[in-house]
Formats: sequence, C-alpha cells, structure tokens
Amino acid sequence: MIEVKNLTKSFGDNKVLDDISMSFEAGKCNMVIGASGSGKTVLLKNIMGLLTPDSGEILYSGKDLAKMPPKERKLLYREMGVLFQSNALFDFATVEENIGFPMEFFTRLSKAEKKEKTDMLLERVGLPGVNGKYPSELSGGMQKRVGIARALALNPKYLFCDEPNSGLDPMTSVRIDELIAGITEEYGTTTIINTHDMNSIMGIGDRISFIYEGKLKWKGDRDSFLRPDCSELEAFVHSNALASKLIG
Amino acid sequence: MRKYFEIIGKYCLFLKRVFARPEKWRLFFRQFLIESDKLVVSSVLLVAFISVFIGGVIVIQTAANLENPFVAKLYVGYMTRESLILEFCSTMIALVLAGKIGSNVSSELGSMRITEQIDAMEMMGVNSANYLVLPKIASATLLSPLLTLISFIVGLAGGALVAYTSDMVTITDYMEGITFSFNGSYVVYSCVKTAVFSFLITSISAFNGYYASGGSLGVGRSSTKAIVYSSMLILVFDLLLTQTMLY
Repeated sequence: MIEVKNLTKSFGDNKVLDDISMSFEAGKCNMVIGASGSGKTVLLKNIMGLLTPDSGEILYSGKDLAKMPPKERKLLYREMGVLFQSNALFDFATVEENIGFPMEFFTRLSKAEKKEKTDMLLERVGLPGVNGKYPSELSGGMQKRVGIARALALNPKYLFCDEPNSGLDPMTSVRIDELIAGITEEYGTTTIINTHDMNSIMGIGDRISFIYEGKLKWKGDRDSFLRPDCSELEAFVHSNALASKLIG
Repeated sequence: MRKYFEIIGKYCLFLKRVFARPEKWRLFFRQFLIESDKLVVSSVLLVAFISVFIGGVIVIQTAANLENPFVAKLYVGYMTRESLILEFCSTMIALVLAGKIGSNVSSELGSMRITEQIDAMEMMGVNSANYLVLPKIASATLLSPLLTLISFIVGLAGGALVAYTSDMVTITDYMEGITFSFNGSYVVYSCVKTAVFSFLITSISAFNGYYASGGSLGVGRSSTKAIVYSSMLILVFDLLLTQTMLY
C-alpha cells in the first residue's frame, strides 16, 4: 500500500501540487485522472522518488520514502515497475536486452534462465518472437507492451503507468488496459495509472482520484464516477462526447 | 557568479555518482569495450587524416622560414617533430575530438534524458551516471594517448612524404632531424596532456547531456555547451600543464 500525506510541490512560484493526501490499494488499478497540466505526472514522479516533495510524506508500507536510507531506497526501487509515457525503452538495446536489463543487474539468473523469463514475459504481453528487434522497429502499441514486460521483469510490488494509452488507437488502448488490469490482479501489485482516457477510467478504474489544478478534488469508484458530486469532475466528464451522451 | 559555483558544485556531485563502484564489473567491462570502439577506435582515421596533412604543412612552413644557409636543413625535421609532439598531437587533436566525442556523448545522453531512458534506469535502482558515463570517461582517458602516438607517427610520415616529393628539404636531412636530440619525456608530457583533455571532454559533455532539458532544442544546446566549455578548458589546462610539466 502507498499513502501520500499532505504532499505539496512547487516549481518556482508555480504551485503544482497543493496539500494532496490519498492512498493506493494493493491488487487494484488506482487511477489518477485530470486534465493535462493538472499535476498528475508531477504527483507520480514524487511518488516514484524522481522528484522531491517540498512538504508532505510518501509512505511505502508505512515507511517514508524521503527518510529511507539510500540502500533501502535502492531495494525499494527494485520492487517498482514503471511504464513511462514515452515507453523509455533503451534504443541501444534489443527487446530481449531491454527486458533482461534489470535481470542483468539484480539477479543471478543464468543466460538460459534470463532468456526463458524474457520469452515468458513476451508471451504474457502477447508479443512472442520479437526478442531480436530494436524498439525503433516496433509500433507504438508493441513498444508499450515491451515496456510493460520490462516493468514486470523483477516481479514488482508496485506498478506505475504514466498515460499508458497516449498515442494509441482505441483497440490497442483497450488491449493495454486489459493487460495492466490482468497483471494487477494476477500479481497483486499496487498499480497507479495516470490517465485522462475515459475508456480506461470506465474499463479498469477500481479506485479513481481526480486532480484539478494541483488539488485532489474527488475520489471514488467507477460507479459513482459518472454522477459525481464535484462540478470540476462533471465538466471533465462532459468534455467527452460519448460519456456526455451516456449520462444524458 | 553564484550560478557558476552552483554548476561547478553540481558537476562535482555528478562526478561523485559517476565514480561510484560499478554494480557489476562484468557489465562495466562490456560497456568499456563498446565505448572504446565508439569513442577512440572510431577516431583513429580522423586523427590520422588530420595528422598527415598537418605534418606536411609544418614541414613546408618550417622550410620556408629557414632560408638562412647557416642553419642546417635537419632543423626542418627537428622542428616538425617538436611542434607535433609538444602541441599538435595533444592540444590540436583534443580540440578536434572535443567536437567529435563531445557532441557524440552529450547528444546521446541528452536524448536518453529527454526520452526518459535515464529515469527508467534510475527507477530500476541502477546508478545511471555510473553505468552510462564511467565507461566513456575511462575508455577515453585511458586510450586516447594512443591517438596521440598515432598522430605523432602519422604526422612525421606526412612530413616525410612532403620532404620526399619536394626539394625544400632532402629526406635524409628530414630523417636526421626527426631523430636529432630526441627527448622521450616530451612523449610522456603529450600523452598526459591528452589523457587530461579527454577526461575534460568526456566528463563535461556527459554532464551537459545528462542534465539536458527542453526537448530536442535542449539536446542541441547541451551539445553546443559541451563543445564550447570543453574547448575552453582544454586551452586553460594546456597552459597549466605546460607550466607544470615543462618548467
């Protein structure tokens, strides 16, 4: 479980996150939603430790990330899997080398065992046989799936996905969503997904938190999402034509 | 002024991360070989090409300035050798490499930064500065003196070619000149200078690329900064090292 307590983050005079408190459950798809520029990515980067909060706490199983000794923090990082918005696949490495990268560093698996695990992960994400290809030879959707496979290489306890559907067609988006939801359930990971994609929210959002201008404005589940008691979220939902029609 | 001290401080902290103990030595040596090929071995032809022409030009210029019949012609070879080993093979070659290696290192790391590849490594618990930068610095610093030696030999050969094909100086005088009063410590001096310059080029370029921001324009800016700062510091350290090692 991850808890965020009174998190505040500014860049110069610009307050991007303002006193945010929320928690993320294990085995659930926790969605952080909001318009572009609302502070979702900054929140996720703070949770992952890529940015340091100005004030507030980020607790992993009760332990404050900022106060963790470097060694403990490093061990925690090995329990995290991250799917970046840009996929962040290493362009100097093949698919197999990308997925094997964390295994090379942090496991004592033999070459054959690493290959076996890579094949298993590629099978899991529906991409068998692309081991020798470079990221530039893959489509956007395939790159996402390789990114997911790499994120799973060390059996993470925490899975972070930043805009996993950006730039993908609706069919591929649904496939990626199903994959993330399936993995979350199968491995019991604490999954946090940043998105503004209504299909994803309605499809796999177990717990939904709405960020508006750096503040947590609403939290709830899929059922209450379409009829929220929050004017900002209502405006966000109605900005999607399909959702607007559904609600009427 | 404060900004410059901040940059120097950030550079020192960056080097502290770079010079941490590698997570796995096997991976470090693999990267070392890859970077040696990419940064040093691939520069051999460029260095040889420049050196052969500069060697020839130095012979022509020296011969043109030594018209006094009381000065022996062997001094053409002697002065060519001294010019090459004292300044050209280290400083001039370093300035050329600042462009080639500097832009390569800073743009590669800058691209990795803006496409979040460095963040991805950090999130895996990998010291990205150590994994990506240490092999570059180590390979360039340790192996670039070989480029100096290649430059020296090829430069002398370029001079010999001019001596052989023209009547400015005979090949016999030239060969006598390049072996006349040879001081081996100058070769060491030149190699040490090249190693220091290579360290400056790779570390400054890596620093600029590693902290690049602002998309592709930012990568371009980081490459430009890397080359400008490396070139300036090469000249500053040229003066300091010459003062320290030759006097």
